[in-house]
Amino acid sequence: MARDLGERNRETYARYKDDVKKEGKAFFPRAMLHDTVMAIVVVGVIIGLAVIWYYDADGTEAGILGPWYTEPAEPGTTNFVPRPDWYFYFLFYLLRVFEWPETVFIATVGIPTIAIVLLIALPFYDRRTERRPSRRPVAMVAAVLTVISMAVLTYKGATAEESLGSQLIADGVPQEWAEQQGFAGDEQAEAGARLFAETGCLQCHTYAGSGAGNLGAPDLTEVGQANDAEYFVQYLSNPAQFGNTVMGSYAYLGEENLAALGAFLAASDGGEGEGEE
Amino acid sequence: MARKKTKRAEIVELTVLKPLDWVDERTAFVRGTKWFLFRNVPRDISWAQTLGFGTLIAFTSQVLTGVILAMYYQPSSGIDPLTGKPAAYTSIEHITNEVTLGWLVRGMHRWGASVFVILMFLHMGRVFLFGAYKYPRELNWIVGVLILLTGMLMGFTGYLLPWDQTAYWATVVGINLNGTAPFAGPWLAQWLAGGPEIGSDALAKWYALHMLLIPGALIALIIVHLYLVARLGVVSPPWSKEGAGRERPARAPSAAARAGLTRAGTEGSD
Repeated sequence: MARDLGERNRETYARYKDDVKKEGKAFFPRAMLHDTVMAIVVVGVIIGLAVIWYYDADGTEAGILGPWYTEPAEPGTTNFVPRPDWYFYFLFYLLRVFEWPETVFIATVGIPTIAIVLLIALPFYDRRTERRPSRRPVAMVAAVLTVISMAVLTYKGATAEESLGSQLIADGVPQEWAEQQGFAGDEQAEAGARLFAETGCLQCHTYAGSGAGNLGAPDLTEVGQANDAEYFVQYLSNPAQFGNTVMGSYAYLGEENLAALGAFLAASDGGEGEGEE
Repeated sequence: MARKKTKRAEIVELTVLKPLDWVDERTAFVRGTKWFLFRNVPRDISWAQTLGFGTLIAFTSQVLTGVILAMYYQPSSGIDPLTGKPAAYTSIEHITNEVTLGWLVRGMHRWGASVFVILMFLHMGRVFLFGAYKYPRELNWIVGVLILLTGMLMGFTGYLLPWDQTAYWATVVGINLNGTAPFAGPWLAQWLAGGPEIGSDALAKWYALHMLLIPGALIALIIVHLYLVARLGVVSPPWSKEGAGRERPARAPSAAARAGLTRAGTEGSD
């Protein structure tokens, strides 16, 4: 081909302009007719969804399209499972694929940034004039893979379940923690481990691969390296005192339980302190 | 002929045509409108190419319902003394339960957001399938991606406003996610939260973002998008046998060839 790409593009476009002028139809009113039908369908669907939503729900009682509203916002709650609107589920699920907090920025910043750059730059790395899908196999395969991965992530995000404390205990997970961390046999710390699984800590925190990593809550697998049981009891009683206003107080658990949790967290040193001193 | 003018024609000329001419002379508004409406499009455009207009309609619906909601909504987390609940939450209850057709307006705004997002993605898929982002429409693709991102931001900022548990905790997560970004992340998260606890400051901030800043940007981007669509034209489906701009057989020179725009008729020198 002697002609360069720019020249060929300009020729094709000049031919396009010419054809549209000679053989085309008027945008108004002829093409607008189809657009009008589309507009009616869109408004109809929106009204339909609103009507189904309203008549199937009642106040905070959910219908098939969810409730009118949930309970008023209550910053002190600890057992509410956060969930974004459905079109952010793919991002929401992406977070779980990565470990909190070391690699989570790959999901929150890395992958979205790469996706946006690839999307914006598309016309600059796909420069061929060819528009027929049958002659653009790479583009079509990439598109199908993108759609499938978005759909899978959205579906997984929609059906993701928070780890249930009772299930963890039935699976013997707290016992595994005891062995992994080297506090097996320490009855107080073992009781703390069971409490930790039961009381919903894992709805926000992660621990040895379990849990959600929501709300910016840190991983607690090695939290015991820096502080002792006394510190943790105080922290759990009043997180705000330590500058943490997202986490609620667990003072209601009572002294005995708090002491057990404190012992458990202090023993959580990532297994390093095993049998020492 | 001027003498034969009826009374009615004179009135029309005086009240409609003259003022329009006056405006057009100073702004080119009438010429611009004609240029936008009475342009030609390829005769074989498909139904898939109505998705962009559908997106525009969904957005228009969001603007109209949003303006109505703004007349009744209160962006405050302060406790309403009558209900004992936050003012924002109380106003949402009021709109849903008491305002005439308030439930419909709120329902349309809430679900219109989902429809808008879906239509943006479908429209983008159609443009991708048709290869309509290629020369000379590259910039309009970029404007479209910016509209998609801005539109998603609308969904993100609007989600907090009902000030219920779902809204509050989803936003706490969202703000914390912003905080994980390097450099500006923690700063942005703190700014979005409006203080150590997410409260009235944050709510008013998100309300302003949701109904002033982001929609302003979105409307500006949509105007640029539409201008470029009208200027550059709409493509024929790529598989169409009679698509505008199709290759012509070399022996039957096209109009373009006759005008000297293609190589048809020149010596082969490949």
